[in-house]
Amino acid sequence: MKNKMKYILLMMVLLVALVGCKGIDEESNAGGDIGQSTKVDVLRLEGGDTGLPNPFKHTSRGPGMSKMQILYDSLLEKDENGNIPWLAQDWSISEDGTVYTFEIVENAFWHDGTPLTTEDIVFTFNYYRQHSPVSNELIVNGEYIVKEARRIDEKKVEIEIFSFDNTYINKIGFARILPQHIWEDVEDPKAYDGEDAAIGSGPYKLDTYNPQQGTYKYVAFEQYWGLEPVVSAIEWVPVGDRVMSFENEEISLINASADILDRYQSDDKYTVKSVPSYHSYRLMMNMEKVEELKDIHLRKAIAYGINRNQLIENVARGSATMSSMGYVPADSPWYNPHIEKYDFDLEKAKELLDGKTYSFKLLIGNAAEEAKIAELVKLDLANIGIEIQIESAETKARDDALKTGEFEILLINSGGMGGDPDYLRTIYAAAKNGRAAIAGYNNEEINSLSQKQAIERDEAKRKEMIDEMQAILADEVPIVMLYGAVDNFVYVTEKYDGWMFRYDHNKTDHNKLSYLIREK
Amino acid sequence: MKKHYLLIFTTILIINFFLPRFMPGDPFLYLSVDDGNVSVAYSEKQIEEYKAYYGLDRPLYIQFLNYIKGLLKGDLGYSIYYNISVLELIFTRLPWTLFIVLTSLLISSIIGVFLGTVSAYSRNGFLDKFAYFSMTVFSEIPSFLLGIFLLFIFAARLGLFPLAGGMTAFGNFQTKLYYLIDIIYHGTLPVLTLSLVKIGEFYLLARSSMLTVLSQDYIQTAKGKGLKKKRILFYHALRNGMPPIVARIFMSLGGLFGGAILVENVFSYPGVGRLMREAFLVRDYVLIQGILLIIAIMVLFFSYLSDVFCKKMDPRIG
Repeated sequence: MKNKMKYILLMMVLLVALVGCKGIDEESNAGGDIGQSTKVDVLRLEGGDTGLPNPFKHTSRGPGMSKMQILYDSLLEKDENGNIPWLAQDWSISEDGTVYTFEIVENAFWHDGTPLTTEDIVFTFNYYRQHSPVSNELIVNGEYIVKEARRIDEKKVEIEIFSFDNTYINKIGFARILPQHIWEDVEDPKAYDGEDAAIGSGPYKLDTYNPQQGTYKYVAFEQYWGLEPVVSAIEWVPVGDRVMSFENEEISLINASADILDRYQSDDKYTVKSVPSYHSYRLMMNMEKVEELKDIHLRKAIAYGINRNQLIENVARGSATMSSMGYVPADSPWYNPHIEKYDFDLEKAKELLDGKTYSFKLLIGNAAEEAKIAELVKLDLANIGIEIQIESAETKARDDALKTGEFEILLINSGGMGGDPDYLRTIYAAAKNGRAAIAGYNNEEINSLSQKQAIERDEAKRKEMIDEMQAILADEVPIVMLYGAVDNFVYVTEKYDGWMFRYDHNKTDHNKLSYLIREK
Repeated sequence: MKKHYLLIFTTILIINFFLPRFMPGDPFLYLSVDDGNVSVAYSEKQIEEYKAYYGLDRPLYIQFLNYIKGLLKGDLGYSIYYNISVLELIFTRLPWTLFIVLTSLLISSIIGVFLGTVSAYSRNGFLDKFAYFSMTVFSEIPSFLLGIFLLFIFAARLGLFPLAGGMTAFGNFQTKLYYLIDIIYHGTLPVLTLSLVKIGEFYLLARSSMLTVLSQDYIQTAKGKGLKKKRILFYHALRNGMPPIVARIFMSLGGLFGGAILVENVFSYPGVGRLMREAFLVRDYVLIQGILLIIAIMVLFFSYLSDVFCKKMDPRIG
């Protein structure tokens, strides 16, 4: 009898649970729909714990970094075409290129209501010298690039650097400005988790952060000096299956895989925006360990012998673009269109090999896509007399092998190909201490051009140098570039269509400007 | 018995410390990108600074001594990826995992044992054959697959349950009861998945254990005395068939934690399993160590309980 009663009670609790929860859900959703027929009031995105969103505690990947960047403003911001004024409404550079002068906007406030001053900016650049933020662009070759930060008056600051470099304006311009009144007494910012640890000066402020649930709620900051926030709140909620969550309208945006793209492209309700990922699959060649790979003909033969269109069709299912052998992506304004394209050409590849045969080990990670690429590459290269043995390692082990040089040929998907072409220097040129960036590859011309372009202030001249570098790289093929994935962002057009794509970063939900009302 | 446990615990401590460190890969090295993600590229100097900050630059034996010293003080270190205390991180997630694991253990063992007992009694009858077939099928389905299936039907299609999470995000709960109900509501599908996967195991065990017991002489005697079927089955027979079942219930906790890792990821449930996946992905040594240690301690604890229970139930053991 007693047991029966227990079961009945349990059933009742479950029933109440079902009914009660429907009620709660409706309540919490209600705010989003009232009086908004074409625009939403709340944008919902895929959540997950990415750390406390301040410059010292966010997690080191994109979602963590971008959540922090929405809360914290920088001197400059980026739009579709380049850098734009932000906390600095104007900036200039001295004759010798070593002093930047920034003029700060009026009426900027911290989320706690304290005015943002030029002292905060000076403090920030001094504080980062001692305490490295997670994303630290201010250290180059082991040295902090800022020599001195000076407050000139209430509106102006000067940042003096040790020497000019084309990339430094970005590094300084995008450093996140910190509130001095909060951080000046904090000795260990990585461990600091006070109530005010996420006070920034950006257009949204942190309202709720629940690390267990991986939920974040940002609300519009009423005192914001600049562009008006487009929604009253941005919410990051837990997502199990992305597609199911998107189709049930629990999240406002997804990056859809090529397989399911058709269902959105054929439906007017949705907008699909396909943008290059600024990543590319590539074959790294260890010219230090494998003597044969030093032969330029062999490397060129590999480049001609791989049917990259087939890789795009079969592995990426069409959702990718061919990578340039000169590294700079074809959609970049820095791309040199006059370099060798390396269209698939079996005959040419065979001719280059001149009857010689080879055998190499190809090290790959454990992602399914990598295995598919490797199998197709193996088949292709067998046709020209190169035998490939595929070895698969755990992703991190593969990354480690690249660093230690424990490989012959290695397949990897790497990013950072958006924005300034200075990446050519880090990817191909030997460092000042003579250490080669690519094992066994040392081209004096590339080394010298990469140093020169970095300090060339005339953009046309710099473009010539970058063009020349691409031509040399395409001719020597130190890395066989394969293809770069394309991301397909899908959203319901009617709900919100302000998603924007920065010139150097393609994840639209990471961009601050995606959440602000911009002048058309 | 205590010595035995101490030895196991020490072995676990040692493996737990060294294993993540022998895994290839560096927690600060991001050369490749996965699923179109971007990550911060740390400079060599930054990597050095971080390693020094987390004490990873010191010789292994010193790291080990520091680790043991920390453990004695109840300090599991600081997560490299999340930048907060490991103990805090685990203890905020553990209740969620315990909730789904223990609830599903309770549900699956009760239903499994009940069905197994009834099935054994009506051996080779329709009920037995049907139950045997369906339970074998269920116990072979991987938990994540079943989870996705349930998610698709009950959450995405029918909208009866939430698609993800452990509670309504940013929910304003007027009373504690609403809060509790919300948690039960969000836990339903994960619990259902884990229960369905586990029922088969208990069913099969209970069935075979009961088959042995039912063929014993004292059952015949009980039948001969004219006792009621229910009393024979659930009092005389089940009581004697219980020890192996109880042992299995406790022992299966370890396996259930494993299952929870997959299920939590399907439902984006905020437990330790989800945390563990993330920790492995980013090679957060300190966090991996902490999670494995806590899980090991719990499995050991339950195994100890199982020993104690079995001894009580069957004095011949030990």
